[in-house]
Amino acid sequence: MGRKCLDYVNDLNDYLDGELDPSLCDEIEKHIGHCENCRIMVDTMKQTVTLCREGKPEKLPASLEDKLSGMLKARWEKKFGK
Amino acid sequence: MNERELVTKAQAGDFQAFATLVNASKGRIYALALKMTANEQDAEDIVQETFLKAIDNIEQFRGESSFGTWLYSIALNQARAHLAKQKQTDLKPIEDYLPTKSADDLHRPDTHRLFDWKDPHQQLEDQELKEIIDTAVAELPVTYREVFLLRYYEELSIKEIAKLIKESVASTKSRVLRARLALRDAISKALEDRYGTQVS
Ligand SMILES: [Zn+2]
Repeated sequence: MGRKCLDYVNDLNDYLDGELDPSLCDEIEKHIGHCENCRIMVDTMKQTVTLCREGKPEKLPASLEDKLSGMLKARWEKKFGK
Repeated sequence: MNERELVTKAQAGDFQAFATLVNASKGRIYALALKMTANEQDAEDIVQETFLKAIDNIEQFRGESSFGTWLYSIALNQARAHLAKQKQTDLKPIEDYLPTKSADDLHRPDTHRLFDWKDPHQQLEDQELKEIIDTAVAELPVTYREVFLLRYYEELSIKEIAKLIKESVASTKSRVLRARLALRDAISKALEDRYGTQVS
């Protein structure tokens, strides 16, 4: 019968993040192969991370970019002198 | 020039070296601040305050962590200060974020069927989906939100995060898991509201 549903919940992140012992991974995979709820659990936990990562800004907004350097330079010169 | 050399130069007063360190990290700090606060103005303020504080305290950095991690710790404090006005939700035990209270219930999918998201992109407009995710993240308790974002948005290791938030590795690990479960639960409810009845 193997482990019951959610017995592995504490291992779930390690499993999803590829950090779980291979033999335990096999157990989880065997289980989700025949347990629909656990398959959905694993799938939606994965999607939680991928959805959250979408649209991550690569750059600062131009308004901030424009003033940041000058602002830091002024603070720097106040501390260290020119 | 590697990070250590840049830090040494910056600590001796070399602005160019400091600017190089800033350029290497400002995008990541901004992304974290934006996701933490869900507010562009707050995020801009946090970025500025982080680097100004870094200048003020640069001699206190002793290389026990990477310079990037040190900056994260400053940014985190700034973000927490911005969020201090928000009402805080209490942390709940892990069971509250699980779909059922007992494993036996989950074994009976006829009575406790989890909502299958399928591919949310096929079901919702991008903008609507983005709003659902941003709202769910913004409504997470701050202690969950920060570890979730550090782990999965900034991709720090559990060890690095534990150091940052001054918790043990074990409790950090458990907090990251609870954060992910809580976020999954919140997104799931929102998605089920939108298209739960349409998918068989
Ligand atoms: Zn199961």
